[in-house]
Amino acid sequence: MSPTSENGAGAAASLDDALVGEAVLGVYRQMFAALARDSGAVVDDPELVDVAETLLAAFADAGEDGLSREQMRHVCRRYPPEVFENRLRVLRGLGAVREVFPKPNQLRYRASFTSVVGLMFVRRMMLDGGQSEMHRLLALEQLNVADPRMTAGQARAGADGLARAFRLWSVELLTLTNGTIEELREQAPKLWGTEEILLRAERLHGAILRRWPRLDRTCTDLRAAIYAYGDASRRAAARLSDSAGTTRNLTLLPPETWRTFARTASREDLAAVLEGFVFDAAAPWHEPSAVVTAVEDGPRATPPRPAPPRPSVPDPGLSRDTGSGGAARERLREIAEEVLRGRDRVAVQDVLDRDWPAARRVLADLSAAHLHPELPYRLTWSDDLAARPAGAPTWVSPGWFERTTETETTAPPEKAAWSGGSGPPERSAS
Amino acid sequence: MSVEPAVLARARARVLGAVAVGAADPVPPGTVGASDGDRVWVLPAWPDGATPALLEEYQTAPVPLDRPGQARRVLAAALRCCWTRPDDAPWPGESAAVAAVLGVYADMSRGDAVLARRWATGELRRLADTGWLLLDEASGTVRPGPRVALWAEHALPSLRDLLRRLPEPARDGDGGE
Repeated sequence: MSPTSENGAGAAASLDDALVGEAVLGVYRQMFAALARDSGAVVDDPELVDVAETLLAAFADAGEDGLSREQMRHVCRRYPPEVFENRLRVLRGLGAVREVFPKPNQLRYRASFTSVVGLMFVRRMMLDGGQSEMHRLLALEQLNVADPRMTAGQARAGADGLARAFRLWSVELLTLTNGTIEELREQAPKLWGTEEILLRAERLHGAILRRWPRLDRTCTDLRAAIYAYGDASRRAAARLSDSAGTTRNLTLLPPETWRTFARTASREDLAAVLEGFVFDAAAPWHEPSAVVTAVEDGPRATPPRPAPPRPSVPDPGLSRDTGSGGAARERLREIAEEVLRGRDRVAVQDVLDRDWPAARRVLADLSAAHLHPELPYRLTWSDDLAARPAGAPTWVSPGWFERTTETETTAPPEKAAWSGGSGPPERSAS
Repeated sequence: MSVEPAVLARARARVLGAVAVGAADPVPPGTVGASDGDRVWVLPAWPDGATPALLEEYQTAPVPLDRPGQARRVLAAALRCCWTRPDDAPWPGESAAVAAVLGVYADMSRGDAVLARRWATGELRRLADTGWLLLDEASGTVRPGPRVALWAEHALPSLRDLLRRLPEPARDGDGGE
């Protein structure tokens, strides 16, 4: 498809012929400028086509002023500069991008409409491999045939073109059919025909033949091409379904085909798929522990009551020791009596008159005896503060540790708590 | 077509699930027989005393089962009625009325009792299909299935404990619909 230079032909023909030939060539060049790598070859990198498309889109946005070279460079800033320069040179050379006015030192450019159309066509062909293009061509041709201005020559040319297209199409399909199955699987969906395309082609053929009966020879060619294409299409499909039947590769046919098969096949056909396979009978396993879990997790008739907490160690039953109160109380009583030594009250600083590690333990015990609700002892402090630089506690508040009642064992807890909780100030002052 | 009889018997046992053969017939290799009277049920044997419960330790999905919890509760209800001497092995057990099993299941579960019976009937049939129960629909009785014989003895105490806690089966005659 690359435009070729026609120097020899141009020199031999007349000037008018050369002009006509040059105009045709110009259209060709513009159409395929986007695909040209340089003025003699087709692109070898899809990105080059992207550059051309970006440029043409920018031109469409720019309006009638066109674009300057810097603007074009800005639009294509994603691409390397040398790629952009190369593309611009080729596009200008082939006439896809032209100066707004053909003057020297022209700075603004415009794009050719033909190139955009050509690029659209190329993209569409890439997308669906020419099949939908064939649909369009057939539809257009049908319209043309119905057009009263259509001449027999045009109809013949159209029919010839379609016949050629169908021939080439079926040749390509046949080549694929004889090739590897993977390639066929890959390419055939783009190529093989639908019933609709064959129907439409035959309808067109009938229309041409009715209107211009003298074109019967051309129509015969067209008909033969259509049938050849139909045959090739069927053969490709048969090869595909054959290979799909013998292989386990289920992707050789489209999923829709499998679905249709599963819906429409007879029971014998479906069973034949797994002929030769032996399946184990269903044998679910119910472990006893799973049965227990299922019953315990299942919904119950009565809502489960939360079990009382149990110790993890074996429960020895009720014990004598109902708490630490008794033992601690006796120990505190012993210490208090040891401190009091028969007296009713004793000064705290006398008791603490020893080294601090021992004294603080005694002080802690006295405080505990004071706070214990069932013990008849009290600790009262005055507000004074005696500093004793030489003593073991270097400062001490004068205080008294005293017995509150003579009958210690019968003191009711409430009273003891009251007397322990607050010290009467007149007793502490005495 | 010449296939060794043992191989054929094993294939048949695998395809059909738990099948009963005559007590005099040889048990094919790779299987164990759960015998009861004059019949032997051919069951798969696993090496080293393992059971399919081992799959869980290897985090492999077991055979998928619809509503496994319900199926196991119905199995527990059936065992409550059929496994009348819990100190013995559950196989072969004794026959019990299907109505009694349905009654136990309805007592165990919450909600509509009629619906529970209907669910349990379906589960009983499924359990019978897979060899966990022997269901005699004509006489309306059910027995533990041969697969129960594959339970290891050391796994049974928790199940015995559970069955003692399940509701009593109704006495004959008043356990019906």
